[in-house]
Amino acid sequence: MTVLGYLANGLVFSSIIVLGSIGLSLVYSIADFANFAHGDTMTIGAYAALVTFGAVGGLGGAVLGLPFGFFFALVVGIAAAAVVAVATEKLIYEPLDIDSIGLLITSIGIAFIYRALIQIRFGSDFTRFDIRAQRPIESLVPYGVRVTLHDVAIVGSAVVLVVGLHVLLQYTDLGRKMRAMADNPDLARVSGIRTKRVKLWTWVIGAGLAGAGGVFLGLFNQLAPRMGFNLLLVIFAAVILGGIGSVYGAMAGGFLIGMINQLTPFFSTVVEALPIWPGWLAAALESLISIEYANAIAFVIMVAVLLVRPNGIAGEAAT
Amino acid sequence: MSEGALPKDDAVLRVDDLQKSFGGLAATDHATFAVERGTITGLIGPNGAGKSTLFNLISGFYEPDGGTVEVNGTDVTGMEPYQVAEHGLIRTFQTPRKLEGMTVREAMLVGPRNQPGESFLRLFASPGSVGESESANLADAERILEEFEIDHLAAQPATDISGGQMKLVELARAMLAEPEVLLLDEPVAGVNPTLAKKLKSQIRRLNEQGTTFLLIEHDMEFVMDLADPIVVLDQGHVLTEGTPDGVRGDDRVIDAYLGGGA
Amino acid sequence: MSALTDPKGAIAELTRPEGWVLGVSVAFLLFLLAALLTGALGPTYFLFLVGLAGMYALLSFGLNAQWGFTGLINFSVAAFFGIGAYGSALMTASGSPIAGGFNPLVGLAVALVVALALALLIGIPTLRLRADYLAIASLGLAEVMRLIVLNERWLTNGSAGVRGIPGFFKGWPVLSTFPEAMPGLRLEIVPGSPIFLEASFWQALLNVLLVLAFAGGTYLVLRRAHRSPWGRVLRTIRSDEDLARALGKNTYSFKMQSFVLGSLIMALAGVFYTHLNLYVGPGDLDPITTFYAWVAVILGGSGSNRGALFGGVVIVTIREGTRFLNDVALPIDPAPLRLLLIGVVIVAVMRYRPQGILPPQRELIWPSAVDGGGAPETPDSGVRERKGGGGDE
Repeated sequence: MTVLGYLANGLVFSSIIVLGSIGLSLVYSIADFANFAHGDTMTIGAYAALVTFGAVGGLGGAVLGLPFGFFFALVVGIAAAAVVAVATEKLIYEPLDIDSIGLLITSIGIAFIYRALIQIRFGSDFTRFDIRAQRPIESLVPYGVRVTLHDVAIVGSAVVLVVGLHVLLQYTDLGRKMRAMADNPDLARVSGIRTKRVKLWTWVIGAGLAGAGGVFLGLFNQLAPRMGFNLLLVIFAAVILGGIGSVYGAMAGGFLIGMINQLTPFFSTVVEALPIWPGWLAAALESLISIEYANAIAFVIMVAVLLVRPNGIAGEAAT
Repeated sequence: MSEGALPKDDAVLRVDDLQKSFGGLAATDHATFAVERGTITGLIGPNGAGKSTLFNLISGFYEPDGGTVEVNGTDVTGMEPYQVAEHGLIRTFQTPRKLEGMTVREAMLVGPRNQPGESFLRLFASPGSVGESESANLADAERILEEFEIDHLAAQPATDISGGQMKLVELARAMLAEPEVLLLDEPVAGVNPTLAKKLKSQIRRLNEQGTTFLLIEHDMEFVMDLADPIVVLDQGHVLTEGTPDGVRGDDRVIDAYLGGGA
Repeated sequence: MSALTDPKGAIAELTRPEGWVLGVSVAFLLFLLAALLTGALGPTYFLFLVGLAGMYALLSFGLNAQWGFTGLINFSVAAFFGIGAYGSALMTASGSPIAGGFNPLVGLAVALVVALALALLIGIPTLRLRADYLAIASLGLAEVMRLIVLNERWLTNGSAGVRGIPGFFKGWPVLSTFPEAMPGLRLEIVPGSPIFLEASFWQALLNVLLVLAFAGGTYLVLRRAHRSPWGRVLRTIRSDEDLARALGKNTYSFKMQSFVLGSLIMALAGVFYTHLNLYVGPGDLDPITTFYAWVAVILGGSGSNRGALFGGVVIVTIREGTRFLNDVALPIDPAPLRLLLIGVVIVAVMRYRPQGILPPQRELIWPSAVDGGGAPETPDSGVRERKGGGGDE
């Protein structure tokens, strides 16, 4: 594959990571805790879509190689993730009388409950949407770009959702309140914002985007009960890179991490070509910069960010 | 102007041209003042004047953008809070969090600095010395609790006592750290009048025994009665300083309070 | 300790949850004893389970030293456990792809040194920051460790795992040949169901003694540390780190010490596991190990070492109980069932009993100082345990 090819793959994967990291970042800043169940919320979206698509089928026509039924399933997936998240907030998080650290630990328990239920219902094996795989778009193949119409659909839908969120945050009353609450929850409360309501909407939006990300991840790779949890590290890396609590930072972070993740094979060819000395270093780098370690590279970036700029690329200097 | 605060003879704390801004807004704006040994210095100012920021800068919790902080003649600018404390500057907090699972006595015992038993290795290498210092600290803690007339609280869980009592415990604990200068952040906020009176007399007693105080307080009656001199902060810089009466009669101070919406 | 000299008084002093836990534990022990005597439960397997419970207790001690004492959120318990397990396996096993064949004590030392290095590596960037950064970074560390073990075949044998691990006492005088030297015994306590005690039983017994030594030693160290001024600073950091800083405590250093101590104990649990199981594979680094330890610690009561001990038993019950359930009653895959149980327990504890079942209740002051008569009016202040306390040993 060419650089262009890797970049194209990176773009697709980035779209999924961005959807995940925005939601995580929103909940982080407004509900004020690191939600370790966010990855499994993505899984919920994916499986809800799987079931829906299995039930409704294609529904006639198709866009970008995807039957109408899939888009319906996508909406159901988004809704399911949002409903589950809101129910969890209402039944579990809200009645709890603990600090953000306690919520963090609770969310790990929630993550396991989500995943365990999915695994009990669907088994632990991989599965796919029953949609015929697409061939890469012919006209792009000469450039070394092997993307399918499905990939285009993923990127397109993600762009629509992200732009929608941007409009919501910047131009609506709810968005203004959300930003105010993210900035300073106490101030928001005393200035009359009904913080509980805003928090609920945050869950709806954050989990909904995660659900969409989960559906696309299922389309891009496949579905498995661990799919979301496995992605959690990458999403957290994106959020930290962008600066915790910053939605636009999370977009940038998600984009970068997703790109780097998919560019790993390209980097490894670069490392092989470079005259690195001494030899053991070259060997070590070659073995470590490989596709198996794509997630580990995200981790290394995260640790590096924590060391150098703990508030992320978009954040201010540490206080 | 405030820059006219000339270097004083025996300052235990000297703040010089201190600056700090958040997101372009100056929270501390070239603040300069000194706390003379043996005084109870009051720091007042309208809401948002930057008193808490100043405390955080002095005690090392924030790093200043410019200027210096000297404690006992040592430049402590940019040091970690624990290092500032090692130089003899101890602070309290406006809203102390409860120490879960500790009794008041245990909470007191966190106070003494550099206890031998705070070294993990020494717990096993020389448990005897740990025991000796712990006994001594325990005796000190009991004595100070008695002096504060709160020795009956010693065995209570620290989470069970009232906010006002906690303020007293905090002050008592800070004394175990043997401060050269003690920064009190709103010592009587949310404290009932009886306890506030008690706090006042304790601060006065400790001051007579040689402890220097710098305190932020919103309760004007409290601070005007207790502190001398008084430093007035407005929009991050020192507006004026002087005796309580002098400050009270200063038009700029009145303007600042009225303008600040107080 | 004093419970031995004054059992009635000790029982009367128990709080309700303590009595409850004691009751359940005794009932459980009686049940096991009955199963043992009737031959329903093989004595060798029983000892294996005891060893496993000891190992989880050790793991929980490690996490307790981090989360319970200081409030550090470590989601890479499995990684430190894995370092211990792989470190000693790779040093000692005949099937090791690298060195191999060393004395288990060498393996122990190497495992602890590597765990120390790893703890510093993850602690340095995160311990200056808010508590959730450690949580996030440590989750990543666990994943990276798993990837390395899976992919670096030259080092770890990859998914095949490491075989040919000797018992811990290999090369020791007497103990190395003890299991073979012991005579095979046949006991018949309940008529008609004899119990056989053979070499494997004696081997398992040795393992139990080993984990008792590890866990007992760790318990004593942690108990002394917990009630020392050192432990008091950690407990202050847990509730209010800024307060500790303002009082002149170098909290970064204290957090690092607490993190390293806990990580070393986790690695110790891994070392024991290696010589108990005689095989390690990448599956042993599954994140679930981490959350077993979490369940044990938050269930037992954060900061409570006896709670962690109790938690160790609960974990083995979850593990073996789901296996048993699958074999006997419900044909549900035990893996998600365990996951579900862990999740439910975590949420339930945070909801209904965030302080855990056996939170530390007595005042934690260095025992010899209390004996010195500093606090005469409080009969409950550390007095109960003072005879076993550390100050004058």
